[in-house]
Amino acid sequence: MKTKITLIIACFLAMRLSAQNPNIEQDSIVALETVELTAIIKKKIETDMKMTVSVDEFLASSDNISFIKRGAYAWEPLLNNMSSERSTITIDGMHIFGACTDKMDPITSYVESNNLSEIDIKSGQEGSMHGATVAGSIDLKRKSTAFSDYSMWKGAYQSGFEFNNKQFFNLGNVSFSNDKWVADASIAYRKADDYNDGNNEEVEHSQFTKFNTSLGLAYKTSELASVKVEAIYDEAKDVGYPALPMDLWLSRALITSVSYKQLFDEGLLRAFDAKIYFNAIEHYMDDTTRPENLVHMDMPGWSTTYGLIAKGNFKTNRLSSEIQLNAYNNLSIAEMRMYPQDRSERTMFAYSWPWVTTRYAGLSMNNSWDISEKSSVNFGGTLGINYNHSKYVDFNWIFHPGAPQEKTRLLPSLNANYLLNLNSFNFSVGAGYGHRAPSVSEGYGYYIYNSFDRYDYIGNPDLKNEISYELNASAGFSNDKLSIQANVNYFYIKNYIIGRILSLGSPMNYQSVGVKGYTSLDHATLFNFSLNSSYAISDDFHWKGTLTYARGKDENDNNLPFIRPLSYQTSLHYKYKKINIQTSVNGDFEQIHYSPEYGEDETPSYTIWNASIDYSLRLFDYKTVFQIGAENILNEYYSTYADWGNIPRMGRNVFTSLKINF
Amino acid sequence: MTALGVAVMSCTIDKTDFEAELNTEIIEYVEFSEAVSINSDDYQISIEALNGTFYKGYNEIRLQLRNIQSNQDIENSEISFLPIITTYNGEVASCPHSYNLEYNDIEDYYSGYVVFTENSSDTESWMLYISFTVEGQIFTVTRDIIVEEQTNKNLNMTSFTGNDGEQYYIALVAPQSPEIGENELVAGIYKYQQPEGEAGDFPDPSQFTFYEAENYTLLLDPRMPEPSMGNHSSPNNQDLIQYEDGLYYGVVNYTMTGNWTLNFIMLNADGETIKGTEVPTDFTPGVEGVKSELHIDILF
Repeated sequence: MKTKITLIIACFLAMRLSAQNPNIEQDSIVALETVELTAIIKKKIETDMKMTVSVDEFLASSDNISFIKRGAYAWEPLLNNMSSERSTITIDGMHIFGACTDKMDPITSYVESNNLSEIDIKSGQEGSMHGATVAGSIDLKRKSTAFSDYSMWKGAYQSGFEFNNKQFFNLGNVSFSNDKWVADASIAYRKADDYNDGNNEEVEHSQFTKFNTSLGLAYKTSELASVKVEAIYDEAKDVGYPALPMDLWLSRALITSVSYKQLFDEGLLRAFDAKIYFNAIEHYMDDTTRPENLVHMDMPGWSTTYGLIAKGNFKTNRLSSEIQLNAYNNLSIAEMRMYPQDRSERTMFAYSWPWVTTRYAGLSMNNSWDISEKSSVNFGGTLGINYNHSKYVDFNWIFHPGAPQEKTRLLPSLNANYLLNLNSFNFSVGAGYGHRAPSVSEGYGYYIYNSFDRYDYIGNPDLKNEISYELNASAGFSNDKLSIQANVNYFYIKNYIIGRILSLGSPMNYQSVGVKGYTSLDHATLFNFSLNSSYAISDDFHWKGTLTYARGKDENDNNLPFIRPLSYQTSLHYKYKKINIQTSVNGDFEQIHYSPEYGEDETPSYTIWNASIDYSLRLFDYKTVFQIGAENILNEYYSTYADWGNIPRMGRNVFTSLKINF
Repeated sequence: MTALGVAVMSCTIDKTDFEAELNTEIIEYVEFSEAVSINSDDYQISIEALNGTFYKGYNEIRLQLRNIQSNQDIENSEISFLPIITTYNGEVASCPHSYNLEYNDIEDYYSGYVVFTENSSDTESWMLYISFTVEGQIFTVTRDIIVEEQTNKNLNMTSFTGNDGEQYYIALVAPQSPEIGENELVAGIYKYQQPEGEAGDFPDPSQFTFYEAENYTLLLDPRMPEPSMGNHSSPNNQDLIQYEDGLYYGVVNYTMTGNWTLNFIMLNADGETIKGTEVPTDFTPGVEGVKSELHIDILF
């Protein structure tokens, strides 16, 4: 929410700035940078506490993101307290879909902090630009260096060690630019052992190893146009998921794109951008590390997507618009093969995703209209077509006889926001309406074991579209010293999709206690609130505080699962010469509104204290920062409301890191 | 672009070829060919069966009768068909079969079925006794045949004495090669007619009368017996009821490949249990599934 508001303000400011200066710089090099008409908040990929963070840790620092954690790796981001099916997660607008039926691989696990420049989070229907959504969108923006008049090399190297899980990481990135060419490259390697909880007990199967590298190459074809080829390769190996009955043996992702960008000095159309992309993910789970498992099972998954994005930015005196065409095709396949106790006997095979194709094409528009110096309106909409096809539809027919093999859905979306700035105060109100199609698992999943509530889940191809009606508002005040910002949003979601116990069938996975089918509730409601404030005690001494609250209910006023209880964070930051000292306390109150129906129990409150100190120096003429800190200093034993199976979180963790810029 | 991606990243583990996966256990036979040919005087009898082989269990048979001299097929002859097994101790018995073969004038053959209850072995052998009429004259022929073991468990059979004291046979007819998902399950249910009179000259057909059991219901509960599957079952199955062709039709859903047990309870027209017991429905991981006393195991 805050992100959104900041975004809107940033957007608004950007519009105003360019409105005051209608002559776009003739220098195309600069132009390539400045004609980003959709302004985005620039947030460095680091948190207040830690300068070298994982993508997950960085996302966690955003108010409207929480996480379902199944271990130390690959957390599933929840936007506005909604699971990842309800948000669109993209990399530079490219759609990518995880290949694991158990959500071991959210898209955020296939990038690394050193190949990202920022993460653009939009709440609710404002996020529909990249595709149909309910919760909003998370767009991971890749690093991209601008063309420069003279040849320039830049780079950074980060290394560090985290003592709790003996995580050792090395991240490097380098870029080259001149007036014709730009190259960006990054490489990263992380390796961690099991972590220890607050009782100093090892949490088994929480290790991970991750390798990530990326390359981008841009060429300026004319004064105002450029072509770019980009690729990311990510490989995770031997990753433990303590909350799941299985680990990961190997996952690999290849994410590629070619794009073309053309800017225009004058006229209505100011920028045109087109991109084609292809990405492929393979994901192989592994249960051989879990001798307690009764059944050995192979569960490989594959997800392949290709797509197209084309967008144009238009501008008149007071109105600026962005029109975007999005199209993609995804094929998701997941297999399960169970081995009988007598291995010479026939294996038992089934698809958990029976070759499900998803095709989407959508046309989106977003407009920003400056009514006056003080107020503006943002409005937009998307019309999308979503098509699904299940190749081995017999699997779906077992529970839903006669369900259609293919299904086409129309996904409309509308949103509008009014923003008002009065001196030090700002206000906004907005509304949104949008549909989303069921995800592959919700529509076509087959005996997908959910170790949280211990049910096997069955998809329903006939599910109705989920329809979201959304209201949001914000109010804020800021001056030189103090800033306060409050945000609320409310979602009324019709046909809310969730698993309900089926009286049919019996479990397939041996840990399971029954079968649940994805069904539509008549509706569900969600309310999110956040309050942010900061105060500058002196020029070098700052305080920040955040309070968030959320409430989710189903049609019968029962609690929805994974809704964050009242939580808080407060931090102090002190700067003395080249030394920065920061300390923070964060925690959740007791989770009173838990949902036993979905396997939740009451999670007690917890409080965590963190601190870090960093020192900037010049090492061989390179700008260098050294940081040491500790998370969970008091070694509290805790698990949060969204820790899968109540696995305990990490105990005290001392971390060190070094960053050299050159 | 796609080509580049594929080139850079071929899969580490190959995807399963689903069609091949379904056929690893099963060779599906769809072609009828000659299983036995018998000459008698000027006539030749040719019996076709699937794959040219008689198997234990249900066999559809197609018989052709031909005058060798004139090279003419003979239509509308009255043909009787009687399989007889001689057991190791010299006893003789038969098995469910259609005694009178009907002429099918569209396909030009005499059609019937036989459910062999045993395969041929060193100690047990099968003999066919066939009679036919041509122009009012009756011819009889006998011929020993080989009945092979049925390796496709989807065509398994079972025989039992019901609670009413009668001898019953249940033979699976289809699907030969099941799919994951919904399958039409077809079975023949047969009953042995206890002879009333004294045996006449061997082979006296009145001693070997079988008929299609009528108006029974076969309650179906398919389950995976493998201990790790914990008595797993499937939804939306339908009990087998008799159709006009005399066979019993129902629906079985297989949720995955592997070993399945079709647990049956056979009811007569009055709803009385002839054979079979209810099986537990609870999910019991690690324990081999309990089977009904009337069941047939399949595998695909």
